[in-house]
Amino acid sequence: MPDQALPADLYPAIEPYETGMFPVGDGHQLYYELCGNPKGKPVVFLHGGPGSGSSPDHRRFFDPKRYRILVFDQRGCGRSSPTASIEANTTQHLIADIEALRRHIGVKRWVVFGGSWGSTLGLAYVAAHPEACTAIVLRGIWLCRKSDLQWWLYGVRTIFTEFWDDFANYLPESQRGDILENYFTLLVHPDPAVHMPAAANWKTYESRIASLIPKPGSEKSQSPRTLAMSRIEAHYMRNNVFLPEGALLEAVPRFRHVPAAIIHGRYDVICPAEGAIALSRAWPEAALTMVPDAGHSAMEPGIRTALVAATDRFCDLD
Amino acid sequence: MTEPKPPGELYPAIEPYETGMLPVGDGHTLYYEVSGNPKGKPALFLHGGPGSGTQALQRRFFDPARYRIVLFDQRGAGQSTPSGSLEANTTQHLVRDIETLRCHLNIARWLVLGGSRGSTLALAYAGAYPEACVALVVRGIWLGRKRDIDWWIYGLNRIYPDYWEAFAGHLHPWERGDIVEGYGRRLGDPDPKIHMPAAIAWRSFDQRCSALLPKTGDPAPAGPRTLAVARIENHYVRHLAFLADGELLRGVGRFRKVPGVIIHGRYDMIAPIEGAFALARAWPEATFTLIEGESHDIGDPGIRRALLDATDRFASLD
Repeated sequence: MPDQALPADLYPAIEPYETGMFPVGDGHQLYYELCGNPKGKPVVFLHGGPGSGSSPDHRRFFDPKRYRILVFDQRGCGRSSPTASIEANTTQHLIADIEALRRHIGVKRWVVFGGSWGSTLGLAYVAAHPEACTAIVLRGIWLCRKSDLQWWLYGVRTIFTEFWDDFANYLPESQRGDILENYFTLLVHPDPAVHMPAAANWKTYESRIASLIPKPGSEKSQSPRTLAMSRIEAHYMRNNVFLPEGALLEAVPRFRHVPAAIIHGRYDVICPAEGAIALSRAWPEAALTMVPDAGHSAMEPGIRTALVAATDRFCDLD
Repeated sequence: MTEPKPPGELYPAIEPYETGMLPVGDGHTLYYEVSGNPKGKPALFLHGGPGSGTQALQRRFFDPARYRIVLFDQRGAGQSTPSGSLEANTTQHLVRDIETLRCHLNIARWLVLGGSRGSTLALAYAGAYPEACVALVVRGIWLGRKRDIDWWIYGLNRIYPDYWEAFAGHLHPWERGDIVEGYGRRLGDPDPKIHMPAAIAWRSFDQRCSALLPKTGDPAPAGPRTLAVARIENHYVRHLAFLADGELLRGVGRFRKVPGVIIHGRYDMIAPIEGAFALARAWPEATFTLIEGESHDIGDPGIRRALLDATDRFASLD
């Protein structure tokens, strides 16, 4: 049954034909699932956050008759364990995990699909392993330069003033000059009475600013999933996502031959359009689609349509 | 009798029953016009830019059966003379001109409506002459603070990097460290081959950043009007709108008893909504209407409707 709440342009909801827990070392085990056609063209879905985990809707960006779809939860999040762990959890670890999963399922090359933080990881992965990538679809480009982090932590106030105020005012006034460090301290506090409300507040901020029209009910509950998302995000941000400033743009020559689609909402307030255009300028071979009436979320109508069109197009590539 | 009109639709197009040219000193003569009901409640529409001049459409935000509607072209704008003049053209001059016009028309008190940089002028006027204001309706709030100017000239690069590159790219690289000065020199150049392309580039940026969705057609055609607006806007920006930083917010105390309506679109990019929140917090007595999914454009349906609701409501106010 197609899910009536979701738009028709996504493929119907499907269940995996295989799921598993895959040990990647350092005590981490990753949840992964395979769906679609076992003989189809391989594609890997990289979720955002970092730390957001995967959801069943992520399977629906790909034609299940033509694609063999791998979705997995990155270290510490979703159904991976240990949950919310930030030990041995860096961009370099995640890149190695993607490679380990590729070999584990016996795939030589695949299409890489990632949005938001998934675009960051997708770019870092293709820079490290261009030969493993048939094509790449990137949405809501987040280059994680210092200016991107500053924007997320402070600049958003220009457009979502009241939501930013709720986010920042959770901290005492004296701590608002360094939102990231002071939130991080709360998020790693051992007492759930301290870390859970902070995590819920962090995620509520992000959810409210993710779509063109703020959705009611985007307030996040205090759950292990919320904690994982908030703690892992803050951990990556305070380490500048473990990449030197500007590294992703500089790496473009290593993978510019890989067919690519860049899809971005003009009113993406989490990852402003400037990042997508900077990437497009550095990588003119990639097809840029600027959706005029969309925010950040992959579920924005114009974004969804463009994403599915891209995966349909790349399905015929070798 | 007015024809019944669907809510949210503009009142029918009307012609003025009186027009004139009013000398205000310093060699400036202002075009003004009065339409609607000569015995109606007086209302003043303040155009933006500064320098944009009035448009016939602006009459239609008021019920012509109940309002005596006054529009005028600010110094150097529209049909006022001398066109595009920057001599004796400051916020303080414009505030005094409004008073001169009010006295000339024998109006004791009036409703004042201003959008965009017309909101700036409306707030400055209400701060200087609160007793002359029956009510204040401000839309697309622009406070003329240093941060507002920085956002307009540099910050918009985050959201509209493509438009911004065309704007900054009009200048030589060595002029781009101070875009406002660079444009000021070119706009003031006597050679039309220098000043007209600069005026088009300046105005195109302003226009393209003012609407939610890209519009077809030429955003700023070559001509004296585009030149006048660009020159006057640049002149006001260079002089920080002739306001001390934050002056308008500090002035709220002088008019807070005047009934007020603040209307702002979430995706107002040229005058970001943070300014509206700042005003609403300084002036909690005013009604603040935030329109999700709309922009700086007075033609956006939710903004239009909120403006009409406000003038309809105040029509019965004494």
